[in-house]
Amino acid sequence: MREVSVIGVGVTPFAKYRDKSLAEIGWPAVKAAIEDAGVEKKDIEAAYCGSALGGMMSGQRVLKQLGITGLPITNIENACSSSSSAFRQAYIAVAAGVYDVVLVMGVEKLTKFGGGTLPLEKEDFEVTHGLVMPALYGMRARRYMHDYGLTDEQLAGVAVKAHKHGALNPEAQFRNEVTLDEVMEAREIAEPFTLLHCCPSGDGASAVVIASAEKARQYTTKPVRVACSEVNSGKYMTGFRDMTTPEITVRGAKQAYEDAGIGPDDVDVAEVHDAFTIAELLYYEALGFCDKGDAAKLLEDGETSLGGRIPVNPSGGLLSKGHPIGATGTAQIAEVVRQLRGQCGDRQVEGAKVGLTHCTGGGISGFDHGACSIHMFSV
Amino acid sequence: MSQAAEHTEAHVLLAGDSVRNEADGSIRLVGGRCGNCGALFFPSAHVCPECMSEDVDTADLASEGTLYSWSVVHVAPKGWNTPYIAGYVDLSDGVRVFAHITGTEASALEMDMPVSLTTAILGDDDGVPVESYAFTPAKG
Repeated sequence: MREVSVIGVGVTPFAKYRDKSLAEIGWPAVKAAIEDAGVEKKDIEAAYCGSALGGMMSGQRVLKQLGITGLPITNIENACSSSSSAFRQAYIAVAAGVYDVVLVMGVEKLTKFGGGTLPLEKEDFEVTHGLVMPALYGMRARRYMHDYGLTDEQLAGVAVKAHKHGALNPEAQFRNEVTLDEVMEAREIAEPFTLLHCCPSGDGASAVVIASAEKARQYTTKPVRVACSEVNSGKYMTGFRDMTTPEITVRGAKQAYEDAGIGPDDVDVAEVHDAFTIAELLYYEALGFCDKGDAAKLLEDGETSLGGRIPVNPSGGLLSKGHPIGATGTAQIAEVVRQLRGQCGDRQVEGAKVGLTHCTGGGISGFDHGACSIHMFSV
Repeated sequence: MSQAAEHTEAHVLLAGDSVRNEADGSIRLVGGRCGNCGALFFPSAHVCPECMSEDVDTADLASEGTLYSWSVVHVAPKGWNTPYIAGYVDLSDGVRVFAHITGTEASALEMDMPVSLTTAILGDDDGVPVESYAFTPAKG
């Protein structure tokens, strides 16, 4: 397998674009990534598009706006892991030598559903009985609080940290800081979560251009190396499950660290799937940033804030940057690539050399999550 | 929400074949048991997720269990009576079931408390009451 590098990234800032079509939301991210990479559109040999709810041919609908047609375009759905799964497919194709330059993108328009909780698959038994994503994470939170003594204040602290970072990100959906009281007194969604414990609904797009390491040198003197690319699915279980341990992420992280030859202590910056406050804490532990039960302490000690030992979600994360689900995976990659290039301004993690992105996709019965992707990058 | 539902004159019965009405007015949860490997699961299916055998028969599940966790849901799709308590119940025969927790205030709930099977009206489908199984704190 060949070495693969990221040579360009672009984002359509996450927001509510009610009056724009999916294609209109998508193309600015793609154009930005292509310009950032310095490639011509004729250089792009294939494209992979992740979208969960964009509908048929999301990739073609976006790329025709820019006249990028006639190439193999593959659309990939893996819930919130859609574009990170698309990245994995693109990575495999380049690493295997099938293509030299490939475009990956994620695009989503959730405002078409009019708000509320994410629409889940209606064939699913638990969904037909009233399972909604905030309740699923809420149950994880309540069990963790019981088992490990996590308090409401500590949990709310995740949202405070996310917004503090997001306020420094000009592309974040929310760019305001919030206080602990504001988080705890916001409208109730699914206990123990108030509105500010939950990622917002929204629209957006993100794109990445990757190339073989050899080809990358033609375009840039600062390629970002893909150190590992890992996607797996959850294990279906009908019996009891410990909801305080996200098994799929624990398993994926072990594989990712092994593939990359890099351990959790070497990670300088991480973008993780904080769809709800509890998720970020569970992932500190699952990704090996701290021991089981120590996540709240890691947060309170400032270790995961900018300036700390392992800044997590400097972009603001899903909670503050936003979460147009299919667009999130490649947006996380865009953030980490910019961090490793030193392009993040006020939210820059100084001297970052190794970055990790983590994106899960769930919402069906019997799995902790349906999909999980972990990517690592280095310079 | 009527996707998996069965209409009767009075109610939408949400759980379909996964619930059986007994003569005394009580209900049983009906799962599947694999005739080949013995795996027990809920809801039932035509093929066993453990061994892929199609020799699956229905099996009555336990009506008692413990509350693994819960969340009071304030925001849900149209049709549900909000707020409602969503929970996971660990049945005494080893199966975990998602269920509404009814007949109690959320403040009275405790982790791992015993709960037992009941029925409840959970919402409405264009004015028709939607009914399904639920769990409630066990008596005594």
